[in-house]
Amino acid sequence: MVETVIDLWTKYDYVYINGLLGTIYLAAITVFIATIIGTVIAIMKLSEIKIFDFITALYIGVLRGTPILLQLYFFWLVLPKITPFELSDTVCIVIALIVNASAYVAEIIRAGIQAVDKGQTEAAKSLGLSDANTMKKIILPQAIKNILPALGNEYITMIKQTSLASVFFVGELMTSYKTVQSATFLAVPSLVIVGIIYLIITTILSKGLNIFERRLRLNDM
Amino acid sequence: MTCKKIFEVKDLSKSFGKLEVLKNINESIYEAEVVCIIGPSGSGKSTFLRCLNLLEKPTSGKVFFEDVDISDKSIKINKYRQKIGMVFQSFNVFPHLTVLENITLTPVLEKKVSKEDAKNDAFELLKRVGLFDKRDEYPTRLSGGQKQRLAIVRALAMKPDVMLFDEPTSALDPEMVKEVLEVIKDLAKSNMTIVIVTHEMGFAREVSDRILFMDEGIIAEQGTPSEIFDNPQNERTIEFLGKVL
Ligand SMILES: Nc1ncnc2c1ncn2[C@@H]1O[C@H](COP(=O)(O)OP(=O)(O)OP(=O)(O)O)[C@@H](O)[C@H]1O
Ligand SMILES: [Mg+2]
Repeated sequence: MVETVIDLWTKYDYVYINGLLGTIYLAAITVFIATIIGTVIAIMKLSEIKIFDFITALYIGVLRGTPILLQLYFFWLVLPKITPFELSDTVCIVIALIVNASAYVAEIIRAGIQAVDKGQTEAAKSLGLSDANTMKKIILPQAIKNILPALGNEYITMIKQTSLASVFFVGELMTSYKTVQSATFLAVPSLVIVGIIYLIITTILSKGLNIFERRLRLNDM
Repeated sequence: MTCKKIFEVKDLSKSFGKLEVLKNINESIYEAEVVCIIGPSGSGKSTFLRCLNLLEKPTSGKVFFEDVDISDKSIKINKYRQKIGMVFQSFNVFPHLTVLENITLTPVLEKKVSKEDAKNDAFELLKRVGLFDKRDEYPTRLSGGQKQRLAIVRALAMKPDVMLFDEPTSALDPEMVKEVLEVIKDLAKSNMTIVIVTHEMGFAREVSDRILFMDEGIIAEQGTPSEIFDNPQNERTIEFLGKVL
């Protein structure tokens, strides 16, 4: 078994590495765009406007309350029908991943902002700081310390979750498993290789995140 | 005493849901006056103070600041809040900014004071309250008393016409109460208009021109310190003072 794994790796390493790069890229772009959308949604949710509250609650509720695989199928089926131009499977899946992640990121950002002591807002207001400056200069700089570590975790989750895109043969690590498996009929060894790569990358990221978090807290002292 | 009104409150009521916290209050605060608000817990002292700078929106009634109705919804409240300093029980200094930045942030951003001028003003203020040496520290390095002195000069940096204090010493260790009260006393001597909610009766007696006794959402009695402390008329005032003195 160990030999088969090593053989497979020597022969197909470029397939796996390409897959890994696909995964990293997919997770990065998803989290990046989801952060922008999520911030807007979080701010809408925190504004005291009822209709915004309703819309964002619905958005977040649906996306967190249904399986992500279902959402991928849904976007994959529906998006090409409602857009006037050609959409590749990859684009449909990336959009679905972004939309899904945006709901989780919105909650991360909302929680991060709400965790900042209410007294901070009151002090800023009482000084006569505008709402925009209060957000920009007082709340967000403090909230970011809660938000960044959680976003890092979201990125690690995304690394694993993008594997679902293999269902649609979008280029990423889990798809590499399928490619090699169908060329060699060696399922388990290929799965082991992919598993090890996932493990290495998530372990490195977790450790990095821990160090980063400790730094953030150190600055608080 | 001059007769210029800093605040005028007309028929002010405030409810939180079904709970009626302020009941139709009418009151004025005059320029250079030092007014202490005393009364039992839950009587609405903080709520009244917070209505003065619109941190709480009145349920009904009006709040005038220097003859402008600042409870009017169409008004830009930030501009007026810049002239109304407020100090909280829990300090609320900005932990991510240095002592100096805490002070200069708002004058530079909202009053377009140059950074240089803001810094010089801040130095003056810090010297006044004995925090000049701490100017580049972050607030986590300060004691409670130092944080509260910082909060006071942060508000003063906006050059307000009036200062509101909500139990500024209640969260402090006993040995730090004095240093903060001294700062407020100096401020009172400099003719600043001050409204202060406090449980420090000795202090209230010493600095106040007028004492308001609040009970169950109304100003039940008011007068000079000697009228209130030596010769209270209202039964609730007598009962309250009997407990705290
Ligand atoms: N944001 C709020 N929501 C609901 N109820 C509130 C709110 N703020 C104050 N209250 C209630 O209003 C009442 C008056 O509160 P307030 O803080 O004005 O009293 P206080 O006189 O300052 O008391 P203390 O001496 O304990 O500070 C209390 O019963 C309090 O629970
Ligand atoms: Mg209070």
